[in-house]
This record gives sequence, C-alpha cells and structure tokens, in this order.
Amino acid sequence: MKINSLDPRISRAELDDESKIGELHGSEHFQTYEVFQQIKRGTHHQHVGNVHAPNAEMAMLFAKEQYCRRGAAVNLWVVKTADVFVTEYQDADIFETTEDKLYRDPNSYKVMDRINAFKARTNNA
Amino acid sequence: MEFTERHVEGLKELLYKMADDLLIIGHRNSEWTGLGPMLEEDIAFSSMAQDKIGQSLALFELLHELGESDPDTVAFTRNAPQFHCSQLVELPIGEYDFSMVRHFFFDHAEAIRFEMLSETVFEPLAMVAKKFKGEIKYHTMHADIFMQKLAAGGEESFGRMQQAINENFGLALGMFEPGDFEAELIEAGIFGGEAELQQRWLDKVVPLLTSYGYMVPSVDAVEPAFGGRKGVHTPNLQPLLDEMTEVFSIDPGADW
Amino acid sequence: MYGNAYIETDGSKVHSILADEDPIKLAEFEARIAAGDKIEPKDWMPKEYRKQLVRMIEQHAHSEIIGSLPEGTWITRAPGFRRKLALMAKVQDEVGHAQLLYSAAETLGKSREDMVNDLINGKSKYSNVFNYPAPTWADSAVIAWLIDAGAIVNQLANSKGSYGPYCRALDRICAEESFHLKYGHDNVVFLATGTPVQRQMVQEALNRWWEPIMHFFGPPDKASQHSEILMRWKVKMGSNDSMRQTFLNMYVPKIWDLGLTLPDPNLRKNEESGQWEYTEPNWDTFKQVINGNGPCNKERLAVRRMAEEKGRWVRKALLSKSDAYVTPLA
Repeated sequence: MKINSLDPRISRAELDDESKIGELHGSEHFQTYEVFQQIKRGTHHQHVGNVHAPNAEMAMLFAKEQYCRRGAAVNLWVVKTADVFVTEYQDADIFETTEDKLYRDPNSYKVMDRINAFKARTNNA
Repeated sequence: MEFTERHVEGLKELLYKMADDLLIIGHRNSEWTGLGPMLEEDIAFSSMAQDKIGQSLALFELLHELGESDPDTVAFTRNAPQFHCSQLVELPIGEYDFSMVRHFFFDHAEAIRFEMLSETVFEPLAMVAKKFKGEIKYHTMHADIFMQKLAAGGEESFGRMQQAINENFGLALGMFEPGDFEAELIEAGIFGGEAELQQRWLDKVVPLLTSYGYMVPSVDAVEPAFGGRKGVHTPNLQPLLDEMTEVFSIDPGADW
Repeated sequence: MYGNAYIETDGSKVHSILADEDPIKLAEFEARIAAGDKIEPKDWMPKEYRKQLVRMIEQHAHSEIIGSLPEGTWITRAPGFRRKLALMAKVQDEVGHAQLLYSAAETLGKSREDMVNDLINGKSKYSNVFNYPAPTWADSAVIAWLIDAGAIVNQLANSKGSYGPYCRALDRICAEESFHLKYGHDNVVFLATGTPVQRQMVQEALNRWWEPIMHFFGPPDKASQHSEILMRWKVKMGSNDSMRQTFLNMYVPKIWDLGLTLPDPNLRKNEESGQWEYTEPNWDTFKQVINGNGPCNKERLAVRRMAEEKGRWVRKALLSKSDAYVTPLA
C-alpha cells in the first residue's frame, strides 16, 4: 500500500509500506577513522570519536561536521583505526609504578637540611 | 562616489537574488536531513543547508536595513513571481547525483561571488562576504571531494554524475542571468557583474571537472536557463513556497 | 532521544546467565564496576552483559535515527528563520547521536550494517513514541521539549553506567540535548503564550502526546533476579517508575505554569510521599505499538529502507575494496 505521510518529503517519494528494499550487505562496510581534534593552538590533539568513511579526505569532511559543528577547533587529524597500535587493558599493569622509583619524583630531593647543616657548621667555624 | 537611486535599486536586486538563491537551495538541501546516503554525510549536508539559510538571513537583514520588510516577512510571504532565485535552486532534490552536482555548481558560483563582494564599496555587504568565507570554503571543499570520488567510483556512479552535469549545465548558467543594473553596479564598485562572475566560474569549474575525468558541455552549445532573476520560475517553486510558508501563513502576524 | 530499554527478562534463563562464566573473571569484572570503574571494549565481560548492552545501545541508536522522522515532518515548514534553522539543527543532532551510538555499539562487535538491517527488517526495537505522527507544528514543539526532556532524564542516568564507550557517547549527547530542551521549551512557550489558535494547537498536541510520553519510560519494572544483575552491572541505571517520577516532578509544574492542562484527572503530587500519582497509561496499547501496530511503524521503517536504498549507489561508488573494516577503538 502506498504510504500517505504527513511529511511532504515522504509523501512525494510515494513509498510502498510493504517494499523489501534497503537491506545492506556485509560488503558495504566503510572503514572507520579515529578523529583527533585540537581545540586551540598550543594544546594537544584529543581523541573525540570516530567516523565511518571511504577515504581520508571524506573522513576529514565528516569529522569536521560531526565533531566540530559547534565550533571550537583549529585542527583535525583523522587516522585509520586499523593503523592505530593499541595496548591491551589486561596489560595495564605495565603502567603501574612502584615506590622505589622516588628518584623520578622532584619531591624526593630534599637538600635544605643538608645546606642548613652545612651553613651552621661553616658559620660556627 | 555618492549612490544614486539606481545604484540602490541595483544593490537591492543583487541582494534579493543572492538571498533568494541561498534560502531556496538551503531549503531544498534540508530535505535530505535524516534521509542521506550515510549518517556522516547526512550530518555534513545538513550543516551546509543550515549555513545557506543563515547566509540568506544575513542578506535579508541587509535588505531590511535598506528599507525592505523584516526577513521573516520577506522570506515567508512572497509568491513565486516575487522571487529572484535562479531556476537551478528551485528544482526538487532528486537523487544524490543531482543534489551533488547542483551543490558543486552553486557553491563555486557563490564562493566567487562572495570573494568579489569582499571588495565591494558597500561596506556592510563586504563584512557579510568576509564573515561567511570559512563556511563557503568548506562547502566547496566538500563538493570538490565528492565530485572527484564519485567520478572515480565506477561506471554507474560516473554515468549518473556525468548525466547530471550535462542535464544541468544550462540551469547552472542561468545563475548568471544579467540584472537590470549591471553597468551601475560595476561603475559604482558595488559588484563586478554577472558576466565577470560567469567567466571566473567557468575558469574554476571546467578545469576541476575535467581533472576529475568528466566531460564539460560547451557554453555555446547550451541554452542558459534564464528567467529566475525576473520572477519567471519552473512549476517547482510555488509548491515549495506553499509548503515552506504553511505554518507561518496560519497567522503571519503571530510570533512563532 | 531514548526512554528506557526494553530489556527482555526471560525468567527461565536467569539461573543459566552466569552458569558458564569464569567465576574469577566474573568477580574481577563485578569488583571493577562496584568500584565505579568503567568497562572498555576489549575487556573480558559476561556474555549477558555484552548482549544486553548491544541490545540497549542499538535500540538507542535506532531511536535517534527514527526519532529524526516525526520532527522531520516539519523541517520544510518551520515558521520563520529562527525556527527553520533550529529545527534543522535539532533533527541533524539526532542523526549525529545515531552515529555516536552505532559507533559505541560497534565496539561490542556488531557492525553498523548489521544493526541497520535488524532495524529495517523489524528485528530491533526503538522508542515507541516515534511510531506516533506529528500532525501539527505544535507536535514538533512538544516532542522537542518533552520527549527530549524524558530522554535527558534517562540518558543522564545511563551516562553513569559501566560501559565506557556508551558513557562517552552519552556525555556528548546530553550536552546537545540541552539545546533541544531549550529550543523545545522556547517553542512551546511561544505557542502557549501566543494567539488563541497557537494556544489551542499546542494544547491539542500535548493531549495527543501525553500517553506516549507516559509510555516512554517503559512499564513498571517487575522485580527479578535478571534486572537485579543488570542493575548491579550498571547496565540499567534506574527503575522505569523512578525515571517517570523524576520527569513528572520536573516538567508537570512547568506545563501547568503555562496554563496548559494534561489529560489525566488523577495527576497530582502527593505532598506527603513526594510521589506523583497518575492514571496508568494503557500498557496494552504500548505492547501493540512495540509489536509493530502503532500508527506509523510501517512508515518509519519504509522511510529508513528508502533512505538506505537511495544511498546505495553512493556508498557502492565510494567503497574501496582493499580496505577491510575493523571495529572502532573506543
């Protein structure tokens, strides 16, 4: 049966409500691109999401409107998802740090006691 | 130089045709919103349609400052014979091939027109032209990339696009229909004129299309679809306006 | 725009949900969630967690893309520049939300194409409200205000859930929905404070939409072991009734404030309990509509089929055969 729509765009299309068209096939996948947005110069690019796109140029066109249409960006990177090398969450323990790495911590360097002791010693001399 | 009455008339004619073009193409392209060929492109195309309507509003505001009615009244209460849009923009959206080719033709013309107008002696218009430079740059970028990729997208795609180019080249040339005040606008430094715009447009789009692999019809072999600037329209415009103004005209005096 | 998920709770299976899961991994998984930590795509997760999340995020995504249609009914007819631009942007946002949500669901292993197919073949559900027509401009205003308001109640709760990609998508979506809510409210206020014709138009729209709005949050939850598990896993973030209460509490006073009425003589706040009392909407109607017999179910799906079909040649032309699809990262 023809669809009698309240939407003039749809009624113009004269759709059949029983039609079986439209199915997508497995081969119709676009690849995905990860999107990185820089809010202003001098800041890091930040990952904001992804787009499905057939090529990098279109990924850029799509990312611009999907992620920056309310402004606030000066630069975009789009990177094929497949090209991003990622660590596994199960390996998150590689990022753990132990207490004996204090030599990397600026607060672990406390020399004032030594300087004061030195001053006291030399002044007394 | 001091503007004469004819200069102002010419300026208004220019603003009307630009504003009407932008309103109608923005309206048409908004019909794709929610129905586009893929989600991401749906979003991009909708943004550009919004940009066009926003640009048209800015021009109607200039007209208002020149003594015309407010933008809503002007845009939502006139009938087809009072519209100055080109026939190209009023055609239904059709398939994506037509919508894309129209977008390419129109947006390059708009980009060049605004570039020319960034030098106009009518300062408020120069400011509008500069304000929308970035938007229009994205629009032509989008059109160029799609025209290029669809040309390289196999036989069906190339065939569809080539056919849309062939069938609509005359309609595109209709955008450059000379107005009644070309000499005055040029003389006063308001606008460089439709003839120059058309030449610059051809210099831009013909090499681009050729580089993508399309054949471009010869300008001499095609009849430009004139009439729109003078209120002569295809049968598509009045129904579009009836639809667009359906709610507004329930009570044009009400605040919506 | 999305109400609560229609989680299928099959009582007979409850005992087997966790039966074949590795108890140590399961304990780690539950401890992570209990600690307020998020689950990310490649993490180990119970099969039931994955299944319910895919179902829910997918339904949410479908609700956005189908949800663009009732308001889209008025996209070519919005009165005046301000409304025309705002409605275009609003409908566009719904499409954008679908994009974000399909991506989030994809990280769980179901491709966008498979989800779209399940939608257009009628296998997946979406929010019931979008199967109702929007016969006047005021209907689009009521949708933008109250359906979006309901969606925000649900989505804010869900954004505190346990699955990282869904939370990230919802954070962005909620920020955009607040524009929708403001736009919708502004639109309803203009109609309610306008001419008698405008006022009547919005009152009638409100009458039409009240039952679908009450349906929007889903039927009262039945306590079950299954829903307990989903709550513990932070898949389901609140009971349907509690979200309905939150909504009523926030918006009924605003509606009454405009001198508009709601078609339920029993609707009132019980000042002692702090709870709203109302007539239960007809849940048989709800089931009928969910099962495909609402006024616009057929049209909504036919329109999606048309859109996919019209876009087919474009997608085919742009596909590059050498590029294999991989699941998005996050």
